[in-house]
Amino acid sequence: MKKVTIGSGSAFWGDMLEPAVEMAERSNVQYIGFDHLAELTMALLNRMKTKDPMKGYIPDIIPWMEKMLPVTKPKGIKIITNAGGANPIQAGVEVKKVVQNMNLGPMNIGVISGDDILPYIDEIQAQGWKFTNMDTGEEDIDSIRDKIVAANAYIGADLIIEELQNGADVIIAGRVSDNALYVGPLMHEFGWDFTEKYTQKIAAAITIGHIIECSGCVTGGMSNMWRVSERPWEIGFPIAEVTEDGNAVITKTPDSGGIVNEWTIKEHLIYETVDPNNYKMPDGIADFTALTIKEEERNRVRITNMNGQKRPDTLKTCIGYRDGFIGEGLIFFPWPDALEKAKWSANWIRERFKSMNIEFDELRIDYIGVNMLHGESAPVVDKDLNEVGLRISARTKTWKEAELVRRETTHLWTMGPVGSSFGVPLNVRPVIALWPTLVPREAVKAQSQLLEVK
Amino acid sequence: MAKTLLKDLVFARSGDKGDVCNIGLMAKTRNIYDFLLDTLTAESIKEHFKGMVKGDVIIYPMPNINSVDVVLNRSLGGGATCTLRFDQTGKSMCSALQRMEVDADESLIKEAMEADEAIMKKYTV
Repeated sequence: MKKVTIGSGSAFWGDMLEPAVEMAERSNVQYIGFDHLAELTMALLNRMKTKDPMKGYIPDIIPWMEKMLPVTKPKGIKIITNAGGANPIQAGVEVKKVVQNMNLGPMNIGVISGDDILPYIDEIQAQGWKFTNMDTGEEDIDSIRDKIVAANAYIGADLIIEELQNGADVIIAGRVSDNALYVGPLMHEFGWDFTEKYTQKIAAAITIGHIIECSGCVTGGMSNMWRVSERPWEIGFPIAEVTEDGNAVITKTPDSGGIVNEWTIKEHLIYETVDPNNYKMPDGIADFTALTIKEEERNRVRITNMNGQKRPDTLKTCIGYRDGFIGEGLIFFPWPDALEKAKWSANWIRERFKSMNIEFDELRIDYIGVNMLHGESAPVVDKDLNEVGLRISARTKTWKEAELVRRETTHLWTMGPVGSSFGVPLNVRPVIALWPTLVPREAVKAQSQLLEVK
Repeated sequence: MAKTLLKDLVFARSGDKGDVCNIGLMAKTRNIYDFLLDTLTAESIKEHFKGMVKGDVIIYPMPNINSVDVVLNRSLGGGATCTLRFDQTGKSMCSALQRMEVDADESLIKEAMEADEAIMKKYTV
């Protein structure tokens, strides 16, 4: 039975590079997917592109391709990435230069763009479409219309398949869904299409993509297995060996550290899964509640019986809009009476803010070491702790007010109880809020092209 | 019956999608999974978080992997990009739920302890 081997090389902008290089060097993967885009990343990249039309892609992609391509080219490993971000065409041009400068040709670079729907929002709205906010149910997109900085649809595997058929060795896309980076090559290799005949197979590909797409998070990262992860500092990234029947074995780079077992698969299967019966992706809807997980041998886990439904008629779209600023500050208090000192200081800052008439959308006080992470669900502390931190943060409408918040927290450094300790000031940051919504599939004008290096 | 913490019965991991936090609770045995279904309710979980969860709580059973997916709507201060929470993406919410106290049979608590030891022993190199 035909088998295809795919690996995950990156889960976010800033992920570790070495495990991806090691995967290419040591394993027999045919494809490596590199996801670089989180929900906020598109808004940041759009801002970079507004400042400089030649930017707006993930800048790391250049040094990464310089490291990856000399390894992947001789072995025929194909790379699929969404590092194109807000400017996939320019990213393609830059990667082409890398290929030329390093004499790695002949090589074909597929470029996928057109996920940016910002230019068509009014047009789609005029056709009677409501951009209902999936989190809040709000329908009034006009309330944020003049603050929108980015609107990108999560597109599926269609054009990845097309460019692989055209002979692409590297594919640089914009906001292609993380998942499609893995569904695309599987559909291409096995000849699966979007007809009903292959619905189960595509659901399996989506499930496999979901399991490996967060790189080290299924091989011992963020894991309940942290105590038993082998040489975790040499963590290997995940590899899926997928057979034509829609089953798979999940493993990792040979001779690497980390761990793949029943539990790392389970914890990742549920990770960021809001409804496990309906895991909606642009290429289909997977059901995680029937599949079977079985350990075959150390660091090899077989997944079978994956299924789901056909792809939805809509595409998820993230609209990012400017929504004020955050000012924050940190200060730490030593034993004795550390928590009492922190509370005294929280009161001091509240009184200061009151007398300064600062208007907040929200003010938050956290006691680090006491309740910063578990909030109200944390039990009351009744012993004299070694040290306690105070974190003061506020969201404001204007930069000026956020700066006043930040600045006033630094005054507490020298106006508070004895022993108060501080580091360096933090910066005020702008808030890009997200309005997650759906758009009709046909409203998204995705397109692709092939850049050839002889 | 005896009081125990969910921590002793399940592994857990959490993450975010916008303002929604979801927590996977992976029962250490099948009996514990059955116990979770009988014991956990949307109300008791919302109560445990004492006001941190503004929206509905939904519990999805995953019988194939002895796990439940606990979904906390409107629980992350508006979502990662605008929240004032230090833990913007809700990664620590899993252990916040593991603090929940439940009444269980002594035999189930013993089973959980033995299962945990066996799992860790199995994977120790």
